[in-house]
Amino acid sequence: MQSEPLGQSDPPEQLRPLPVNPSTSIFEGRLHPLTIAFGLLKTARGLIYVVPLLLFGNKGYGFVALALLIASTIATALTRYFSFSYRIEGNELITQHGILERKQRSIPLERIQEIRIEQGVLHRIFDVVDAKIETGGGEGAEASLSVLSRAEAERLRRAVFERVARVRPAADDANLAGQFHRAGEAQAAAPVERVVIRRLRLKDLIIIGLTTNHLLSALALAGALWNFAEDLLPDSIYRQAGNIIYRESSRLFMQDVATTIAVALLGALAVFLIGVTFSTAGAIVRFYGFTLSRAGEDLRRRYGLLTRRASSLPRRRIQVLKIEEKIFRRMFGLATLRADTSGSHREHEDDNSGHDVLLPIARRNEVDGLLTTFLPDFDAGQNEWRRVSRLAVRRGVIKGAIVCALAAAILFGVHQQIIALWPFALLPLVYFISAANYRNLGYALSERYFCARRGWAGRSTHIVPINKIQAVEIHQSPLDRRLGLATLSVDTAGQAYTGGGPQISNLPIDEARAIAGTLAHRASVTRYSWRQ
Amino acid sequence: MIEEEIRQFEQAAASGEPPNSTDGFQSLDSRVISLWRVSGLIGFGVLLLSLLIVVLAVGFAEPKFFVWLFIPWLALAAISCWFSFWYPPRFYRTWGYRIDAKVLETRSGRLFQRARLLPLSRLQHVDIERGPLERMYGLASLVLHTAGTHSANIRIPGLEAGEATRLRDRLIEIGGDDAV
Repeated sequence: MQSEPLGQSDPPEQLRPLPVNPSTSIFEGRLHPLTIAFGLLKTARGLIYVVPLLLFGNKGYGFVALALLIASTIATALTRYFSFSYRIEGNELITQHGILERKQRSIPLERIQEIRIEQGVLHRIFDVVDAKIETGGGEGAEASLSVLSRAEAERLRRAVFERVARVRPAADDANLAGQFHRAGEAQAAAPVERVVIRRLRLKDLIIIGLTTNHLLSALALAGALWNFAEDLLPDSIYRQAGNIIYRESSRLFMQDVATTIAVALLGALAVFLIGVTFSTAGAIVRFYGFTLSRAGEDLRRRYGLLTRRASSLPRRRIQVLKIEEKIFRRMFGLATLRADTSGSHREHEDDNSGHDVLLPIARRNEVDGLLTTFLPDFDAGQNEWRRVSRLAVRRGVIKGAIVCALAAAILFGVHQQIIALWPFALLPLVYFISAANYRNLGYALSERYFCARRGWAGRSTHIVPINKIQAVEIHQSPLDRRLGLATLSVDTAGQAYTGGGPQISNLPIDEARAIAGTLAHRASVTRYSWRQ
Repeated sequence: MIEEEIRQFEQAAASGEPPNSTDGFQSLDSRVISLWRVSGLIGFGVLLLSLLIVVLAVGFAEPKFFVWLFIPWLALAAISCWFSFWYPPRFYRTWGYRIDAKVLETRSGRLFQRARLLPLSRLQHVDIERGPLERMYGLASLVLHTAGTHSANIRIPGLEAGEATRLRDRLIEIGGDDAV
């Protein structure tokens, strides 16, 4: 590996943008005329603020304000439509807009990670789309082309990626050996066939809904609502309601205990059903018609009931792959696959576009078979998983005991009753959690991949290609040093969807050093670039 | 192949080399100790001064509370002065960096220890930073940027200014054949 000449095989001249020259422009395009309509609709919401002014305020000012708003909205929409243009020139995608101040943005083609296509309900009626161009760095989309006809978006996408494939030199990555590359080139020449990897049926979506942790949040919500209602409403209402429920149900059960149990059960069932209904409906709306397919090096997803979304992800750009088995899914042998690319970022916290999952649901025992589809040179499957130090359980218990002791001390300080020492009763639970945690902790190291697994009730497995590793860290708390343990974490680019990359605690310190040294040295002789 | 490599590392780790081995680790320029002392004192000084204002204001309004606030303030001042003298040399001793083949390794931390390994081919760019205090001492900090997420930059403080430049050039030279 070390003997291979690195870097010299990648002549940077080929990637340098060609001089700007109209003759090199191979692709030009404009927005769809409906841009005007969509622009008007989008800003029409601003008019809501004028309505009160019209109704209650000075009518004259109100109408002036309204007229001004409408005029500026129309002007903005018209300006955007008539001035916005985009073109591919040399190795750059250039967008340009504005009349007085012409704003131009050039995006080097090889930096384009993904062109995401979104289609809301209104978009679907008129068969237009929003195209969002994402690059490796920065927040949010680099450019947003809104709106394009669907055919035009497809044309743009093909133009960009074909051009990238032609421009990209053969030696992209020393570690990923040339064969994938040559395969990629061959595919670029011939029309690429598309292989469906997985299609989710309604049944799968219902399973997603049933196994979502929304159940828990629904319970929490119900609890919070109950507390809130208790504070809010006068006691008499509860008494009356209680009486009614009592009268009605005692007619059915004729017994006090039975009434209470029945009411409690019915309540729990109602909350459960509401939770299930909501999360199932959510899953169907979000992932309806989910299809994951592969065309050459691209992994393509297409999904959504109301807003249709389509995106493609070149599989060599996967930085971390995560197999997520949350508690409910794990109980039924199910898992979710997530992937980070170097361009990953969350647009906002509760981003529910579903963009963060590669495959929302799959049987756990099928996942290992799928891995080579996502990571063509995956080789860690046959390697033995290694466990961490058995001291993990002790460390967990000590940490838990410290927390319990602190909580007990505070409570005892406040109440000064023996009952305030109840946190110590949690120690068996702490032991159970620590033991479960130890059973799940593990790692596997192969020629090209590092995998780490953690969790106690649920479990998550992170898989990272060694050539995507950016840095390796070893941490030791005072307790770790006492027990001779350490935590190892691996940093990669763009960890937005996989919850922070591989991290493995409770490794014996010597082993942690050995792994860190191996990973870092191995990574140092591989090449990394945004384009991969 | 990889198994062998791990074994080699394990053997190296097991054979005599104590876990906190200083082998090959370069320490920072020792002038950084007094730099940290001064900057610590400035930081604590600002805090103490603002606390003193509060103490005086309260003492002015309610003179009988003054003593009970002033004594803790004095204690706090004494502790922070002692700490800003006592801590830097100890922290300094934990700091080290070394370049091993194509990997830069830094370690630091006294209570919570941390080692970071950076494959130099992942280096995106290197900054040299010199604050006013650092300039006074003739020191500089090197900030190494990677494309990573949670340790996207690694900082080596307290390098002699010339040494910082030399180190930067060396790091770029080693890592530079991996143009992104």
